[in-house]
Amino acid sequence: MLERIAYNLLQVFVLVAFAPLIEGVVSRLKEILQSKRGPSIFQPYRDIWKLLHKDEIVSDHSSWIFRFAPYVAFAAPVFVALLIPVLTRYPLFFAFMGDMLGGGFVLALGGFFATLAAVDTANPYGPMGASRTRMVGFLAEPVFIVVFLTVSFVAGSTIPYIVQTRWVTPIANFFEPSHVLLMIAFLMLILAEDGRIPVDSPSGQFELAMIDRSKSLEYSGRGAALMKWAGAMKFMVLTIIFLNVLVTPWGLAPEGSGLAGVLIAIPLVLLKIFGFILVLVYIESSLAKLRLFRITEFLGAAFVTSVVAMITRLSEI
Amino acid sequence: MNGSPYPVIAALDALTGALFLLTALGVVATRQVLASLQLFIVQSLLLTLSAVLLGIALESIHLFAVAVITIGTKTLMIPWLLRHTVSSEVYRTREIQRVLNIPTSLLLSAVLIVLAYVITNPLIGAVEVPFAAINLPLGVAAIFLGAFTIVVRREAVPQLLGLLAVENGVFFAGVAIVPSLPVIAELAAAVDVPVITLVMGLLTRQIHRRLGTTSVGELAALREH
Amino acid sequence: MELTVILLLPAITSALSLSAIGRRYAAPITLVSAVVVLVLATVVAWHAAYAGRIDALDQWLTCDALGALVLVLVAVVSFTAALFSWGYIVGHRGHHSEAEIQRYYGLYNLFVLSMLAVPLLANVALMWIAVELTTLLSAFLVGYEDTPEALEAAWKYVVLTTLGAVLALLGFLILYWGSRVAGYEPFTWQGLVEAAPKMPPALLWPAFLLILVGFGTKVGLVPMHTWLPDAHSQAPASICALLSGVETTTVLYVILRLFPVIGVAQGLDARPWFIGFGLVSVGIATLLLIYVRDFKRMFAFSTVEHMGIILFAAGLGGVDAHLGAAYQMTGHAIAKSFCFFAAGMTAMTIGTQDIASVRGLIRSSPLAALTMAAGALAIAGAPPFAVFVSELAILKAGVASGQYAAIALLSAFIVIGFCAVLFHVNRMVFGVPPAGTAIAIATPATCKATLALAAIPLLLIGIYVPGPLHDLLKAAALAMGS
Repeated sequence: MLERIAYNLLQVFVLVAFAPLIEGVVSRLKEILQSKRGPSIFQPYRDIWKLLHKDEIVSDHSSWIFRFAPYVAFAAPVFVALLIPVLTRYPLFFAFMGDMLGGGFVLALGGFFATLAAVDTANPYGPMGASRTRMVGFLAEPVFIVVFLTVSFVAGSTIPYIVQTRWVTPIANFFEPSHVLLMIAFLMLILAEDGRIPVDSPSGQFELAMIDRSKSLEYSGRGAALMKWAGAMKFMVLTIIFLNVLVTPWGLAPEGSGLAGVLIAIPLVLLKIFGFILVLVYIESSLAKLRLFRITEFLGAAFVTSVVAMITRLSEI
Repeated sequence: MNGSPYPVIAALDALTGALFLLTALGVVATRQVLASLQLFIVQSLLLTLSAVLLGIALESIHLFAVAVITIGTKTLMIPWLLRHTVSSEVYRTREIQRVLNIPTSLLLSAVLIVLAYVITNPLIGAVEVPFAAINLPLGVAAIFLGAFTIVVRREAVPQLLGLLAVENGVFFAGVAIVPSLPVIAELAAAVDVPVITLVMGLLTRQIHRRLGTTSVGELAALREH
Repeated sequence: MELTVILLLPAITSALSLSAIGRRYAAPITLVSAVVVLVLATVVAWHAAYAGRIDALDQWLTCDALGALVLVLVAVVSFTAALFSWGYIVGHRGHHSEAEIQRYYGLYNLFVLSMLAVPLLANVALMWIAVELTTLLSAFLVGYEDTPEALEAAWKYVVLTTLGAVLALLGFLILYWGSRVAGYEPFTWQGLVEAAPKMPPALLWPAFLLILVGFGTKVGLVPMHTWLPDAHSQAPASICALLSGVETTTVLYVILRLFPVIGVAQGLDARPWFIGFGLVSVGIATLLLIYVRDFKRMFAFSTVEHMGIILFAAGLGGVDAHLGAAYQMTGHAIAKSFCFFAAGMTAMTIGTQDIASVRGLIRSSPLAALTMAAGALAIAGAPPFAVFVSELAILKAGVASGQYAAIALLSAFIVIGFCAVLFHVNRMVFGVPPAGTAIAIATPATCKATLALAAIPLLLIGIYVPGPLHDLLKAAALAMGS
């Protein structure tokens, strides 16, 4: 019992501690691929540290939402980390609180507050980015729903711990067309939700072209640090759901393996994430950012892929 | 798939089929001619793969012949022919004119895929043939998508690629339902595909030379007034 | 033996036309080859009518009475069209270079070859290839004039008919699947008729529909007919005669071949589909005939009408209706090719295909006027001509079989079509020619000769059917099943 609470908290710790590292690795790899040296992989930690020690300036015209939003945005991924299989193959203490849909709602709550905060400041770029994020969100929503429906239909459950074993027992299930198509659709979703190329450019500094990042432009000091950290954690949570539930549910601690198993799982999971990052960086480097109105096409393609996955599933191929 | 005598091959074939369908969707949705051509080549490779998988499972030498013929004609000859007849059209980077925007076409494509499953259902139920349950609906879906491509594309080379995608769909269904079609018929069908490409390629070149455009959808001199 | 030669000869002629000899002699050698093919086809038809089937090449080639009928019709029209081409393509070549004319003859012979192959090839898969090749080989012939309209027509023709043929291919694959399930190996029409009773109807039925719709596109059945008036009005007249006169019939022959297959299957009935598609085609075509503005398009719509009538007759079932269908096929091939020759000559002398700008043809070009009028009367179904006799036979058979509503509709449509055609032709032939109607070119002698030759069967066949031909038609009607 206590053990399980501890492991659960360890999951949260892993998320909070390693999320900036992952962001650092992504940006470093990208720079290397562009024949540059790039910043250290620990740069995000330094940024967060620096921002935490700076003064925070808050506009007089903003309301409590603006001050409150970074905490919600930070808490959302932390909360989701309690629900999903980060390190273990068996459900931990808090996992009863929500299934995959619940996790999705919590993540969406963080995004919702960030959007409200962006509108709150009356900075012209904030609402623009917020409305664009909403557009992407609206378009991504049906894909999310179809993916979740199909996944839960296949596994007969919406609990991630049940879903993850379904795809690999027996191993032939892994090659089921619905599974492969779902993976493709979900990967496209991650790209859209996390504001990655081809939907958005995460390293862009041009406010007019920003989608996701312009929402936190007005933050400074501690607020900015939390928003940055929250963004890194959200990416890591999505990646972990993708890898541990959908793609590669291997390397997690099996039931009864105790603390040693959980500790071994940490590097294994990080290794998987590193592998995924390699793919991601390759995708990001080989594509160009889409024009804003082309995003509908990108997500339309994701939607059709997920629908095809559902059809092939329902017709029992 | 459950209860099939060849579980692993059935799973792999189903995966091939799913990717086959995705490439068909890609042919509907891509903006550039070269990308459609590349998707068509990938689709033909997936057709080959399915033929090989079924050939292994059903121990049918005919299907290996289909595989060899498909590789030879669709992945080697057709790009070569297109390069020699309409290279300026294929290798120019510009967007293809289309009647419908991409999200709408993709949604309609999803409807067509559902339709394909619905109409092939009675056939699969009627006769128990291994793999027909996988290949027939996907093949018919690819036929629909190819025909749909012809409808939404207004230009010559994309229409040609849509037509060839329809042909691929027929053969994708064909390898499962008639694994023992006489080789002579396969050879003849193999001749047919390059001839279609050659004739339509040359016709496209003639249209381009004469009219300065290949937007065949824009041609509307002939109709009842 | 004859069957092999029939298929070899056009291939050789095509090669010769493209070689150095063809530069000067492409037209005459094509003509000679067409005459030889015609003679051989007549011999084959004779045997087929009296001795049943003929086989050759280890049963890869076969020909029964229905196939022989199509074979003879193709041979006849390819002969008259070859003669017409001599004057029309070579004699008045306009902007076309010698190489283009050589290519015309090369493709012409291959096109004829593909049409001759359809009724002869025993294997149904190979026959499908032959049908597909009829489109691909004639695409450049349709676009021969190299005008924007001709190229548009050629493109539509290739895209739509190839799409239809590919759909039909799926139908044939399902048919083969069905015959394998039923335990029959040879994929021939004979084998299919034997296998049909044991085939699962769930397979046979979609196969039938796919082939009906797929090849129906090429026949020009409404609503898949949209390409037909374009292609049949833009091609050179000699090619129009082949396209309209026999290519449509050749493909319709394949659909008719399915009728006995479906007929022996359990619980399936192709008849309502044949009658339905036939009636819709006739109805829409006759309505479009009223609005038509181009006289070659007018003849093209009349082809759609005739194909509908033949399909309708086949769908009625029974030997009498089928005899009417076979007779209609014959009458259509002869009259429609004649019409296109006349239309080609008119267009050549007047310089336009627009009905409204042609007046008083009888004064400006009496020969064109006479042939146009005769052709129009023949295809519309006026009394002394074959189409009248066959349509009457079909209507009689329909009344005998009790399909009163369908027959009433069909006869109404036929009357509308008759009036529309004659109305247009009447305006063209009579009246005062508008000022400035120049007679562009004197008609080449071979064109006149073609019209004279083609007029003989046109006038004769409605009044008197020679005994052997009657026997052939009878045998063909029996081969269509009942």
